[in-house]
Amino acid sequence: MGELSDAEGQLYHTLARLAQRGPFVEVMAQGATGLSVRFDGHSTTFQSPPRLRGAVFRVWTRGGWSEASVSGLDEASLRFVEGAIERLLTRRPAHDSPPGASSTARIEKFTPTTRPMRDMGEEEMSAMAHDMFSWTEGVPDIRQTQVVVGWREEERLYINSAGARCLQGITRVRGSVQPVAMENGRLESDYFIHGGVGGREVLDGVTPEKARQAAECAREMLHAKTPPAGKRTVLLSPSVTGYFAHESFGHGAEADQFVRDRSYLKPILGQVVGPEMLTIVDNGASPGAWSEIYCDDEGHPAQRTVLVDHGRFVGALHDRDTAAALGAVPTGNSRRSDFLSRSFVRMTNTYVEPGDRSFQELVKEARDGVLLEAGVAGIEDPQGGQIQIKARRGHLIQNGEVTELVSSMALSGQVLEFLASIRGVSGKEDFQLDTGSCGKGRTDFLPNSAGGTYLLGTAVVGQA
Amino acid sequence: MSSSQPGDAAAFRVGDRLTGQEPWEVFGERIRRYEIHLNGDKIEMTRGPIALEGYGIRVFRKRDNVTGIGYQASNDFSDEGIRAAAEDAQRAARYASFPTGRFDLPSGHGATGGIVEVLDRGLWEYPMDSLDAYVAALRAAFEGRKQTAVSFGSVRATLSETSICNSSGLRTGYGHTTVDLEFAVKAFGGAEGPAPGEYWVNDSDRRLQPKQLAGRVDEWARYAEDVRRGRPPPTGEMAVVLPPTVLAGILPIVFGGRFTGSARLQQVAPEPGTKLGTDLATVYDDGRIPWAPMSAPIDDEGFPQSRRTLLDHGAVSDILYDSLHAGAFDTRSTGNGFRGMSFGFRSWFRFLQPPALSPSTIALSPGGGGTDAELLETAGDGILIQQIGWSSPDPLTGAFGGEIRLGYRIQNGKLAESIRGGTVGGIAFASEGAPSLMTRLEAVGSTAAFSEPVSSPPVLVRPLAVGGV
Repeated sequence: MGELSDAEGQLYHTLARLAQRGPFVEVMAQGATGLSVRFDGHSTTFQSPPRLRGAVFRVWTRGGWSEASVSGLDEASLRFVEGAIERLLTRRPAHDSPPGASSTARIEKFTPTTRPMRDMGEEEMSAMAHDMFSWTEGVPDIRQTQVVVGWREEERLYINSAGARCLQGITRVRGSVQPVAMENGRLESDYFIHGGVGGREVLDGVTPEKARQAAECAREMLHAKTPPAGKRTVLLSPSVTGYFAHESFGHGAEADQFVRDRSYLKPILGQVVGPEMLTIVDNGASPGAWSEIYCDDEGHPAQRTVLVDHGRFVGALHDRDTAAALGAVPTGNSRRSDFLSRSFVRMTNTYVEPGDRSFQELVKEARDGVLLEAGVAGIEDPQGGQIQIKARRGHLIQNGEVTELVSSMALSGQVLEFLASIRGVSGKEDFQLDTGSCGKGRTDFLPNSAGGTYLLGTAVVGQA
Repeated sequence: MSSSQPGDAAAFRVGDRLTGQEPWEVFGERIRRYEIHLNGDKIEMTRGPIALEGYGIRVFRKRDNVTGIGYQASNDFSDEGIRAAAEDAQRAARYASFPTGRFDLPSGHGATGGIVEVLDRGLWEYPMDSLDAYVAALRAAFEGRKQTAVSFGSVRATLSETSICNSSGLRTGYGHTTVDLEFAVKAFGGAEGPAPGEYWVNDSDRRLQPKQLAGRVDEWARYAEDVRRGRPPPTGEMAVVLPPTVLAGILPIVFGGRFTGSARLQQVAPEPGTKLGTDLATVYDDGRIPWAPMSAPIDDEGFPQSRRTLLDHGAVSDILYDSLHAGAFDTRSTGNGFRGMSFGFRSWFRFLQPPALSPSTIALSPGGGGTDAELLETAGDGILIQQIGWSSPDPLTGAFGGEIRLGYRIQNGKLAESIRGGTVGGIAFASEGAPSLMTRLEAVGSTAAFSEPVSSPPVLVRPLAVGGV
């Protein structure tokens, strides 16, 4: 840590000068370090985050925000960005103040760990990757396996002209194993990923059993049948349930969509939208979760925000603009991918809270349907209220039993119709929170996680 | 932004100060980016310049029959900063390993790849004014429309100077511009009409083309209204027409996953001559199509981009190589070492990543299927897919599919009511003899259109699996 300490004084000087030119100015500076290694049996590749530091300055101008970014935190770079901001202020001078209250938070927090990843050098990480690779050896039909293990320590400093100062250092650690099986020219793969915020202890969750299980899954997929198509009873695995939470009441409850009048959820805030067993939250303050943050990029502390409370749609995710427009308070969800990207209202860790049914009960209740497992992608339509979720594999459910393996499929449907169809949520013993990333549109990707337990409902599925 | 002096290019400033005996390469970029974000018809945010200048150093350490490769990127151009980045790369190279004892880096000075049109001169000289004018034209094209509007959107223009040098004497570079459009166009209103619907526009181009906007906005507005009125399709296997906008989300990723030297190294590349498609399936990789986002005179290692045949009348022909994989198989680079690739699309900055093997523009050769109308007539009954939410193709298995964001029923050879919802999917290409999109190609249209990063006519596939009501 300490990636930004040498630049803080100069950032304050620049901020102070710009504060004399407009009603409000803020800066987010960023730097990172880390290391990852990839081994596939043929080649070993290392990559560390670039030696890249930079800052984005945002000012309130006539009718909206304007901003400029620069890579580099040296005096010349900051002079360059200061000049750019001055030109923006001249082009669109502000005659009022920005919406909402500016953060005045004073936060300084770094990821706690007794086993820091930075103590591991290239040699030790390479040995770990080779060890993980060996876990899938001996499984028949496995043609190749790709192993990645790595960490990234990112520091962000937010300061503004209202007095906020938030310095956070977050270390994300992740390991993955992806075996590929091949038979008669047909290829199938599966993967296992485990990650979180912390130190080397996160990698304790990457085990030989889970790697071998992924290899066996890849091999079984060689004989998987084509999935059924059409409207079916569906049982979502915890990772697919995570995609449901993320795509439905995650993106749908990002309040910038409310302000743009493009969310089907806006008119039904406060109403009952699902069964009593359904609770969905976004929790940026979840300790150790992949998308844990200590504060957002407007200087607001991360928090747990309940979106759906026992079936009632009760809350949305806000930045300062949306909170001001809708009479709410910021929820710590204003996030930038990096100093080159603008901030948007974004999710953190979004999940369906556990219910009280068992997996076996839900399978029995499904009777005939399809179990969707291993979510890989999702997409939402905030305006039309549709979601799409892709699962890497699944099983048929016949006569209340899990039976044949089927290949990848997509689920499609209207969120509100799907909510009305939910008949059960399994208990905390099944809870799982995955690691992933999420974009806003096609860009602005940042770390995100989603999860839940097994969830039973009805939707359209088909081969994908 | 004005063009820099040749000797001032980011890569050269670093390369001139590198020391050491090991082969090296420096990739540099000087970038200015400008963005305008819209909320409805109002400007929500103006951004720019977003200034980014940096470089990536790659070093190669030969050991017996393997080579250790190390890479580090930085934006610190001081002697100390360059030394630190080079040391990072050298340390990684000590522990890294790639299975080749030989590789050839390109050489030459100046415009080593010739000229490919990838720079919008007006945008280069007057970026913010050009962007302002484009957004004004966009807003004007929506004026007076009572039931269609922009929900939100952005126009992002990137001006880049790319430079590459290496220890074999290469000193080259070129300027290029990229324009990314991302909009949601909403249809709404009307007496007791259906709920609002949106059509999503995602487009990448090398040029700002404001004069085309009026016609395009008409088309987007029609699509948004069709999304709004669309209903899920029937369930079953049926004839499906896929336009280039849909193929763009499928073909680059599946060809990138299998038709490369890295797939060959993993023993998952198809053997030359293997029949993977019908005779209608002739597919190229072409990095020199004027104004295409993936086009450039050279790839990101400095090799000239070229045109390669991947499938020749359904049979596997060439596969793609960068310098390292070419070395591993004792062949030559095809100019396909690219940086900054993600999900088949390219990031606006590339120096942060080392090169990796990727297609440039995938081009499906036009066939004898005729016009769009003739293709529909051939289909008879089925559906046309205008937009899939995300076809999320699997680069290894070739499986693709997703939700139908907009489609149309085809009845008696004519387009009928619009489709919204349901799923469509299949396998892009499978093992020899197994059914796939390529083996079920029944007709290929006669006129290709460009949809980043694909150039293709529409195709008729019979059948594909559709999930609906």
